[in-house]
Amino acid sequence: MKNIGKTLFLALLLLPWSAAVMAQGTGGQVTGNVQFDGQFTRADSVIGATQAPERWLMNARADILYTNGGFNAGLRFESYLPPLPGFNTQYKGYGIANYFVKYANDLLDVTAGTFYEQFGNGLILRAYEDRYIGIDNALLGLSFRLRPYRGIQLKGLGGVQRNYWSYGGGLVRGVDAEVDVNSLFKSLDEKPLRLSLGAGFVSRYEEAENIAAATPGYSLLLPLNVGAGSLRADVRYKGWLLAAEYARKGQDPNAMNGYIYRKGEALLLNAAYSQKGFSTSVQAKRVDNMAFKSVRSSTGEMLYINYIPAITKQHTYAFLCMYPYATQATGEMGLQADVMYKIKKETLLGGKYGTDIHFNCSMITGLVTSPIGGAGTDGYTSQFFATGEHYYTDLSLEVAKKLSSRHKAVCTYGYVVFNPTIEGHAGPQHHNHVLVADYTWRVATGKTLRFEGEWMGSDSHYDVEVDDKRAGDWLMALAEYSFGGHYFVSLSDQYCYRDGVGNYYTAAFGYTHDATRIQLSYGKQREGILCIGGVCRAVPATNGLTLGITTSF
Amino acid sequence: MKTRHLLFAAFFVAATVAVTAQTTTLPNVTLKTVDGRSVQTTEITNDGKPIILSFWATWCKPCNRELNAISERYDEWREITGVKLVAVSIDDAKSVHKVKPHVDGSGWDFEVYIDANQELKRAMNVVNIPHTFLLDGNGQVLWQHTGYLDGDEEQLYGKIKELIGEK
Repeated sequence: MKNIGKTLFLALLLLPWSAAVMAQGTGGQVTGNVQFDGQFTRADSVIGATQAPERWLMNARADILYTNGGFNAGLRFESYLPPLPGFNTQYKGYGIANYFVKYANDLLDVTAGTFYEQFGNGLILRAYEDRYIGIDNALLGLSFRLRPYRGIQLKGLGGVQRNYWSYGGGLVRGVDAEVDVNSLFKSLDEKPLRLSLGAGFVSRYEEAENIAAATPGYSLLLPLNVGAGSLRADVRYKGWLLAAEYARKGQDPNAMNGYIYRKGEALLLNAAYSQKGFSTSVQAKRVDNMAFKSVRSSTGEMLYINYIPAITKQHTYAFLCMYPYATQATGEMGLQADVMYKIKKETLLGGKYGTDIHFNCSMITGLVTSPIGGAGTDGYTSQFFATGEHYYTDLSLEVAKKLSSRHKAVCTYGYVVFNPTIEGHAGPQHHNHVLVADYTWRVATGKTLRFEGEWMGSDSHYDVEVDDKRAGDWLMALAEYSFGGHYFVSLSDQYCYRDGVGNYYTAAFGYTHDATRIQLSYGKQREGILCIGGVCRAVPATNGLTLGITTSF
Repeated sequence: MKTRHLLFAAFFVAATVAVTAQTTTLPNVTLKTVDGRSVQTTEITNDGKPIILSFWATWCKPCNRELNAISERYDEWREITGVKLVAVSIDDAKSVHKVKPHVDGSGWDFEVYIDANQELKRAMNVVNIPHTFLLDGNGQVLWQHTGYLDGDEEQLYGKIKELIGEK
């Protein structure tokens, strides 16, 4: 059956293509990108790095896109021979992971094959991929978008979801409508008050299976179709913005929530004000039992239909990223605030070039719940406004200042309170202070030196049982030299000087030419958690040589 | 398995045929403005003058360094070459509502669009950000560059002047 499908697909792919090539004689255009990451692993018992039996680990992928007018076709080849450390071993293998044909004009887009899509903020549907954390929630099926009238966009889709090298058994169907009210009426188009509204619905179908209830001898009567809907609004007035999305999900007993029948809900609020040189924004969210997967028994990082965004700031400095926040789709509440301010040039604090200040803080807690029972019951009740167990607090202040045409400094202070529960292991909460100094010196045209020093003081202690190698107090130094417009070399070391383990040094060399980048590095990598957008994966300790090549054409 | 091989072979044959006479244009994708309006990429024009298209995100440090560096010289570049900078943010739901505050807070004067589910990013084969394209007056991609090292904007400016000079 699968083969018939593929053959059919092949025909579909090639027919319009060859037809188009012959008829138009333009040949269209082929573009693509290639990425290769290889790692030679060595054992290091101190940091817990092991040598893979294959020694060389390789991830590689190539996307090739063909475009001819409104017609597109694409293929993606992926190989994991075997996957790099931290990627799920179920990726091991190679093949065509992604293939589609698409036609688009001003009125509509239609895609057959694999596709990515998002409704609103993604609370009920977001098919996306992130190659660095090894997530690909692509849907295989059919998707369309209609733009019947200025300001109106309708979306519809149906398909199955990628699960490493196969597809999950659940069917995902969805529709979404978005209306930009001001665009509908010419008289409103230039008004300062703008309003946009949206609504979406997603349904999952999966065959029944035998799941034991909490009461011995009984099994669960599982809903075969599970629906989720969301409403959203976005209001703007001059520099002001207010955006809200509320989503609800029907009874969805699944492995993530312990097969309870409680309905799910999520609320996301955003408010912001900005003018040139100053901005502030606030976000709030509440998520209750919203893990929505296309296969009810799935627990891993794949097969999520929806996406619950983390609202904590995505940091880039090493120690500020040491304890990242992982979204708890089963239940959490959070608040986040962000302020940016540019002190004007030619003022006392601004100096000749001005000074940039960026402040951010966030706090995430669990819900307050009262248990009802286990699998087969409603599970628990929760109080909407009550905040539960503390999960995460994060505060950072960054001051960036250009000192002269050749010198620039950035100083950052960060404070993180971390509860290990969010990574699923025991242990007390701990408090971490981080200081970062980042100095850039443009020595001459095309020659730049950058130094980075970081310190982290923590009240965490290394515990042999938990074996969290991030514990303790740390120092880091990094020097980076870029030259000739194409090259860079860098040396860095992270050293735990109290109550922990490890000395992690890395040397790296990179070469960039147009859209091609080659990077070679040698050193040790601390085990940790890599998070992008609140979606995380564990990265084991590694020691060895890595080679990365990317190119786009 | 056989089908896969065939598929792959067919693709490469067609690819080589097509590559020989290639001009890459901006794909047609729907983006959002920072004010929440939907825009087709075909509406992004600059009266026949060059366009810099730069992919970035609020959380990406080198992207911000690059955009700040161009921003400092943007008035001068515009005056001399007529070039327009279009920055495409790939921030997702997590930070998409921070894009406008970030742009205003940084004091940027160029056009910014949002590609929240990374459709344009995929269509233009962007692997890592920052990734910057130089388009000529007809929307053809003339040059692209990935990553940002201090001073890279000079190379970009050189390419823009080259393009203007040819006209």
